[in-house]
Amino acid sequence: MDFTSSSSSSLTFTDFLDRMRHPASVDLVRSIKSFIVSFSFHSANSENDSKRLQDFLLAMETTIKDHPLWAGASWEEIDNAIEGLEKYVMTKLFSRTFACSPEDAKSDQEISEKIFLLQHFVRPEHLDIPAVYQNESAWLIAEKELQKINAFKAPREKLLCILNCCRVINNLLLNVSISTNHVPAGADDFLPVLIYITIKANPPQLHSNLKFIQLFRQQSKVISEAAYYLTNLISVESFINGLDANSLSMDANEFQEKMQAARLAKAAQVAPRNISTPRDPQPVYCDKEIHMGGRHYPFMEAEAGKLTVEDVHKLLSVYKDVVNKYSVLCQAVRGLSLNKEKLPVALRGDLCDCILEHPRADCNPAEQDVVEVEGTKEKEKETVSAGLL
Amino acid sequence: MNSKTPNLTFKLVLLGDGRVGKTSLVLRYVNNVFSEKREATVQASYLTKRLVIEGVPITLAIWDTAGQERFHALGPIYYRDADAALLVYDIMDSDSFTRVRNWVKELQQMASKPIIMAIAANKSDLVRSKKFDLQDAESYATSIGARLFVTSAKLGTGIEEVFLDIATRALQKKKESAESFSPTPPRKGMLLVDDEPEKEPQMKCCS
Repeated sequence: MDFTSSSSSSLTFTDFLDRMRHPASVDLVRSIKSFIVSFSFHSANSENDSKRLQDFLLAMETTIKDHPLWAGASWEEIDNAIEGLEKYVMTKLFSRTFACSPEDAKSDQEISEKIFLLQHFVRPEHLDIPAVYQNESAWLIAEKELQKINAFKAPREKLLCILNCCRVINNLLLNVSISTNHVPAGADDFLPVLIYITIKANPPQLHSNLKFIQLFRQQSKVISEAAYYLTNLISVESFINGLDANSLSMDANEFQEKMQAARLAKAAQVAPRNISTPRDPQPVYCDKEIHMGGRHYPFMEAEAGKLTVEDVHKLLSVYKDVVNKYSVLCQAVRGLSLNKEKLPVALRGDLCDCILEHPRADCNPAEQDVVEVEGTKEKEKETVSAGLL
Repeated sequence: MNSKTPNLTFKLVLLGDGRVGKTSLVLRYVNNVFSEKREATVQASYLTKRLVIEGVPITLAIWDTAGQERFHALGPIYYRDADAALLVYDIMDSDSFTRVRNWVKELQQMASKPIIMAIAANKSDLVRSKKFDLQDAESYATSIGARLFVTSAKLGTGIEEVFLDIATRALQKKKESAESFSPTPPRKGMLLVDDEPEKEPQMKCCS
């Protein structure tokens, strides 16, 4: 594989900028600026934006080829100019084009949350990855490459992160095939490792990054190996989104149990943090409201007779919030008391911290959230407390 | 000036159950020719092979896919813009042939464009009796407009033939479509790409 490193790309980018500063390129600069400005006349739409960028890059390629500043330039120099142009324009248009729709944000969050759950229990064996490929240091490097993806705004550099990750995996597979005298590994071996690495890495905004590269990387560059490895990561995204008990070498019941345990662990990890935020360890009473972990709980000293109809809406949402938190915590605490071994150590630590920080809360972390709710299930609270002790 | 020589590239997807020997098959095909200058094969999941058919230089971009059942649903991500598919099964394993039939069904359902298909009955070296019955497989292949090739990555038999068959038909189809809609831009999945960055010979000074 011949992937240029990102450091050399920044050199050529400087070169591009230098040429753009040249008085002779004033016409080019004008068209680039007007292209960027033209985006503000239309509402963001990734398909349209992509089409416009791709057309612009193609048109500029022709312009640059005929431009006096590039007279007699080699194919590489022209290529560098287009690469520089893509990077410049996409950096300027980044906030408009990257993860811009609510659907994208939702997909990003969904896959990230799913990976977070899977990280709790998925092991290489569940994807039938042979032990010979289990090389922690190589895997860590591959993960880091993938995690770098948001350090860059240009589509080319984001794509390079993916290709570098794949290269690390391929080197590992190749070394193993050499040392064990086996046929070099094909996709049967490559894909499971890439899936596992992706789960371990949980790369930020995976969905949006993949979409961004597909839409805004010059089409003529998404070919051959680059296209192959990009497609592989797209298929990893699809695999993880659809991942269920049948996708892993794992008993279906065990899968459900592990997912449930991971969900509880997640819920409980989030909940106690809300309570024990160092900034306000105790509820702060101010103006008849409680502020806790950044959330407001008004009406604490309100009297029924003084409430207005408009308050109902707010009251209801606060009520729902409190009940949701309470039930999640109940489940989590129950899960902890029934199944201590299965929960991750980190969670047990969190709960302990929480209990220690709030000794008066009867060892019940949920207490902080529910203490003031009228008519809540007192009995259940007792059970939970008893379970903890 | 521009040293770009436009090259016709066909995307070929390899489909076959895990362990039917897809990878060995392709490696045998790609490495046989380049055996002297065997470039460090960094990986075997994406390979290219250049060949000349009827005087036309073409490149086969060979995309390996993971054949394990758990990855079956991912197939379309790989083959939806492919020009051709090579379906590989293990001649001794009827389940792997069933999977070939499943892929064929899916490939045929792709409304976007018909895809060129060939079937490889692999690991033929393991067949003891010469009378191994291929009639069913052959008539099936015919019924879907594909040819069946009996291959052995170990012995190197049938391999050149199957890839040549695919490349020839892909080129044929390209020519036909170019004739019927000549001024249209290249379709998605059929890309005009540069030759691999093969180092050009140093410019010789006319001294």
